[in-house]
Amino acid sequence: MIPKLQASHAPPCKFWTAFQVLNGIRHMAPVIHGPKGCTYSVASTYKMRGCEYRGVPLEPTSCTAQNEADVVYGGEGKLLEAIKEAEQRYHPELIVVLSCCCSGITGDDVETVAQTAAKEVNARVLAIRSEGFGGDFRSGYEDAFKVLMDLMEPRREIMKGTINIIGAREGPTYTEWLEDLDEIKRLVYAIGAKINGVLCGGCTVEQICKASLVELNASWCYDWGQKLGDLMEERFGLPYARTGQPYGPQATEEWIMGVAVPLGLESRAREVIRQETAAVGRELDTLRRCFEGKTVLIEISDFPGPIRALSLARMAEEFGAHPIVINLHPYTIKERMPSIKFLLGRGQNPEVILTKGLFSLGSFNVSSETQDEVAMVAAHYNDALYLGTPLRQPGVPQMNMTTMTGFPQYGYQGIRNMARLMQSGLEHASRPRSTLFRKVLYDE
Amino acid sequence: MSEAVAQATRRGGSVGDRPQPSGGVWGTAEKCHDPYLRCALYGAAQTALGVTGCCVLSHSPQGCYQLVDTAFGWQDADYTETLTLCTKLCEDEIVHGGEETLARTILEARELNAPILFVVTACGPEIVGDDIVAVCEEMRSQVDFQIVPILCAGFRGDQNRGIDIALETMLKHLVSGSVGDRPQPGGQHATRNTQHVPRTVCLIAPHANANPTWMGDLAWVKEVLAHMGAQVIATLTHDTALSEFQNVPLAEACLVLSHDAGQKAAETLAERYGIEQWCAGLPLPIGFTNTRNWLAQLGHRLGAEEEADRLIVQGETLVVEACRRKGLEQSAMHRAPAAIVADATVGIPLVRFITEDLEMVPTLVCLRSGQAGAGEMLERELADLGLNVKVVYNTDVYRAKMALGEARPEMVLGSNIERHAVEELGIPFVFRLVNPISRFRMVDRAYFGYVGMLNLIESIQNDWWDRYRSRQRRYKARW
Repeated sequence: MIPKLQASHAPPCKFWTAFQVLNGIRHMAPVIHGPKGCTYSVASTYKMRGCEYRGVPLEPTSCTAQNEADVVYGGEGKLLEAIKEAEQRYHPELIVVLSCCCSGITGDDVETVAQTAAKEVNARVLAIRSEGFGGDFRSGYEDAFKVLMDLMEPRREIMKGTINIIGAREGPTYTEWLEDLDEIKRLVYAIGAKINGVLCGGCTVEQICKASLVELNASWCYDWGQKLGDLMEERFGLPYARTGQPYGPQATEEWIMGVAVPLGLESRAREVIRQETAAVGRELDTLRRCFEGKTVLIEISDFPGPIRALSLARMAEEFGAHPIVINLHPYTIKERMPSIKFLLGRGQNPEVILTKGLFSLGSFNVSSETQDEVAMVAAHYNDALYLGTPLRQPGVPQMNMTTMTGFPQYGYQGIRNMARLMQSGLEHASRPRSTLFRKVLYDE
Repeated sequence: MSEAVAQATRRGGSVGDRPQPSGGVWGTAEKCHDPYLRCALYGAAQTALGVTGCCVLSHSPQGCYQLVDTAFGWQDADYTETLTLCTKLCEDEIVHGGEETLARTILEARELNAPILFVVTACGPEIVGDDIVAVCEEMRSQVDFQIVPILCAGFRGDQNRGIDIALETMLKHLVSGSVGDRPQPGGQHATRNTQHVPRTVCLIAPHANANPTWMGDLAWVKEVLAHMGAQVIATLTHDTALSEFQNVPLAEACLVLSHDAGQKAAETLAERYGIEQWCAGLPLPIGFTNTRNWLAQLGHRLGAEEEADRLIVQGETLVVEACRRKGLEQSAMHRAPAAIVADATVGIPLVRFITEDLEMVPTLVCLRSGQAGAGEMLERELADLGLNVKVVYNTDVYRAKMALGEARPEMVLGSNIERHAVEELGIPFVFRLVNPISRFRMVDRAYFGYVGMLNLIESIQNDWWDRYRSRQRRYKARW
């Protein structure tokens, strides 16, 4: 039996995550068929974050503002009018109708309304059934990507040497620092390839339409890109570079070659890898020196994501350490089964320890209990290192892998950054946790 | 001319519907709406989370739990003492009903040792007809905490409606003399004839206020009441002990600290317990005149006129001296055409403050919300100040942007939303005063009262100076 996530912990619902994907498209006007609460919530979270951190203009987040009357009598007519108004007001290139719990339960046919509206407005109109109860957070991402495939042109003329980066969402979310995408783009251009667009990390509707015409799909994260990659491969015969996250030299090389080989850019890519590796020689030595022969405890459960924990485990092993992943919640494994299977298939199978605190009720209980447990685990090993969240300080050298420092973790820039963080972790290992942090985090 | 503003012109200057009474249908009849407010579930969760040590259970799909989380932050709740749970309803529960899941989660909550559990309900379970009240009633015998169901589905209205629903439910369930109540100590139920304790006050809806650190306003109100010899015996709600609810019927008076929610609760207190509302119809105390009027009325009610006068003189001196010593940017504000985009709580009193005290010229007021009487209050203020101002009621982001585009004020007193929305409009200054402001505030900063005036002036002046900061270097330094 797979333990459920406890009642005190909940990821966003399908509606939120579908919106998150769509929000990464320029000049897209969402028409949310639901009440105001769902609408303002996603707008304040994703739209405003885009404005603040991604330099995008404020674009609308409109809704049908469903009230009691709409719930009783249905709101399809109101939705149709809302789509027309959205066209008139916002002049979007794309309108996407998203259903919420209310319209989902009352059975408003958002797809048919979208089709009807499409005949009456200039913008393309799509609909996605995204009622919050309709699936877990992953299904929102996946269904949104699937719906967007309807915009894609038939695969006729191929754009040679061009790839899509897929599986991105609104842009630099907390698990998706812009700097990681920048590093991937830098490497792609360095080997002589071009990028059609980052789907959907600030892409245009045109880039989505032409996405089927590229030579190859590659992902910034196998986990998020996998579904769209598989679907596009199935529908368009478009190959997908199945590689993990580029953490450390070996995974980075695999990522680069995963793009270069299908595009026939192998020799140039080899040269790029040689030069880049030579340039980070000192940092690689530092990491090897820090990791070799150590037990590395990796705890990145919620933030910035468990797949990163597995990627780090691989990197630690590459540098001669014994990796142990702590608190990879079984719920998370269930949600990411295709990616986990992929990683197992690549020979990754790190030891995993689950502590009791992970299953406690209440976020404070989880935090305080897990701190004690992780400290106990760390004490059990000689020369342990801890890679993970600053919520813990288990009394061994630690590398803060959740810090939003503006430096990437992917690729060669990531190697530089991680070497710097690891060195700092070793130098300051004996410093105690501050009284302020201890009181705030554990109420000790 | 935009459609919305064209309509306004036809109606003689104001756009949108006047704020509806709290019990009526809130929101907009518009089909395409870009809202400033969250839904009733959020407002109800805010209100419940103001009760210290409580547990709030969201009977909803997991997305709605994010609203509860946000409400947690709005009430400055402490995760070591206040807990939130969610039933995380999926398709199964929507098809077959979620009552079992709710009952099971209520039982799970036993391990949290909370004295009270509020169950807030979302659209899904209310539409499919989960009998939440019956489940809560049934589970009561199996747990050792109180359970209060609050029916606050998002389709019932906006967040202010949710605050009113929650307050009404709390008064019904937690205050003596109500349905399902517990008798007062001594076995008596409270009624209209209950003896009120002189100089005691109940404060209502302090959290229905777009000041991002509205707790500062609440603290100021408590401080001036204390100076005038009055005691706050219940706050509905913020850091409210469960025991405070039993004090409510004893209050001599109540003060509604919002123009957006809480009026209905005040009316309930008047009707049920004969509690008088003070300062009703007065703009909240922002700026010299509003603060003077508000304090004077409180002083009069409490027989503390002298103390009120002392507070006024001392406060006004404080503001004048601070501005004289630290600097007041008259050049920024003098006769600058200004727009206000805010809730009614901050927006209405700001009109007089910026006109009389800061010498700005308001040309546009967009109110995101407002409860019964708020529209009339604003119009009284505008008439009294002799201002010819375009007013947009129940605004959404689209209508606010269109109105700002037409009015083209020099400065906007609003939020971070307007900061981004007006980028293409060429409006030079946006002062971020109301939520969301995208800035950390570790210390609560009042807008009410005299320090409140200084806080507002400080924010305005900082944003004004920010506008002049150069964004790029014209040449590189040599070192």
